[in-house]
Amino acid sequence: MTVELKAPMLLAPDAFRRLCQARDRLQECSYERRSIADIAREAHISPFHFIRRFEALFGFTPHQFRIQSRIERAKLLLACENLSVTEVCMDLGFSSLGSFSELFTRRVGEPPSAYQRRARVLILVPRNFPQTLFPGCLTLMTQLPPNAFRNFREAPGIALV
Amino acid sequence: MRIKLTSLMVENQDAALKFYTEVLRFQKKHEIPVGEYKWLTVVSPEGPNDIELSLEPNVNPAAKAFQQAMFAQGIPLAAFEVSGIENEYDRMTALGVVFTTKPTQAGPVTIAVFSDTCGNLIQLYEPQPTR
Repeated sequence: MTVELKAPMLLAPDAFRRLCQARDRLQECSYERRSIADIAREAHISPFHFIRRFEALFGFTPHQFRIQSRIERAKLLLACENLSVTEVCMDLGFSSLGSFSELFTRRVGEPPSAYQRRARVLILVPRNFPQTLFPGCLTLMTQLPPNAFRNFREAPGIALV
Repeated sequence: MRIKLTSLMVENQDAALKFYTEVLRFQKKHEIPVGEYKWLTVVSPEGPNDIELSLEPNVNPAAKAFQQAMFAQGIPLAAFEVSGIENEYDRMTALGVVFTTKPTQAGPVTIAVFSDTCGNLIQLYEPQPTR
């Protein structure tokens, strides 16, 4: 853990609730021009403490979370809606197609156009995503090569208690 | 039929591996690349090494919505048994872990709840000693 909290390690239920609500707000308003300081003020926490507590609780800063939310919304729009990359870019409030494409490629590993092509090919029924596009809860196990476990050592140094 | 595998969704598999090994002191068992993600499992050094916890990427929007809602409601999505819950609490808070419930007696167990920084609240529990 890189975060060193001088604030108490124990979050009161009220503070916890306000931080969760702030996260929801950041997710909804991911494409509106609200500063992190505004969100902090709405949560009645100073921006400095807000950022540190948010990161300690959720594992990333409010700024990082906002970027992630926008990228996730971009992926959803590119895959589900009949929008061009440019339209998705504008819908999310990016100032330029270039900056959007660069951010998307850096985060996702392929350009928005390539992602959209791949997603569209796989989707036969709107909003019915195949498991290969949305892994989770043990579906990854089904994608493993046949010899995945054969040559793996057991975790070392474990004696049965 | 055997129970050998359980699963948690995490925001980031690399961050989760770091947290679950360095802070929770589980040991990595499998880390196998599968496309852009990995099949990632950990085991406990204190227990049978063939019971694995899989740390899955939380990519499905429906799953993410579920996980976030549970988190906001303060509902832990996994519970691990410990011996010496007060010591664990001290050790983990010294590492910067955020708890939402400090060790508290609740019926037959003492429980504590913390954030794993990967989207989940996790509960620790220690059974009360039987007199």
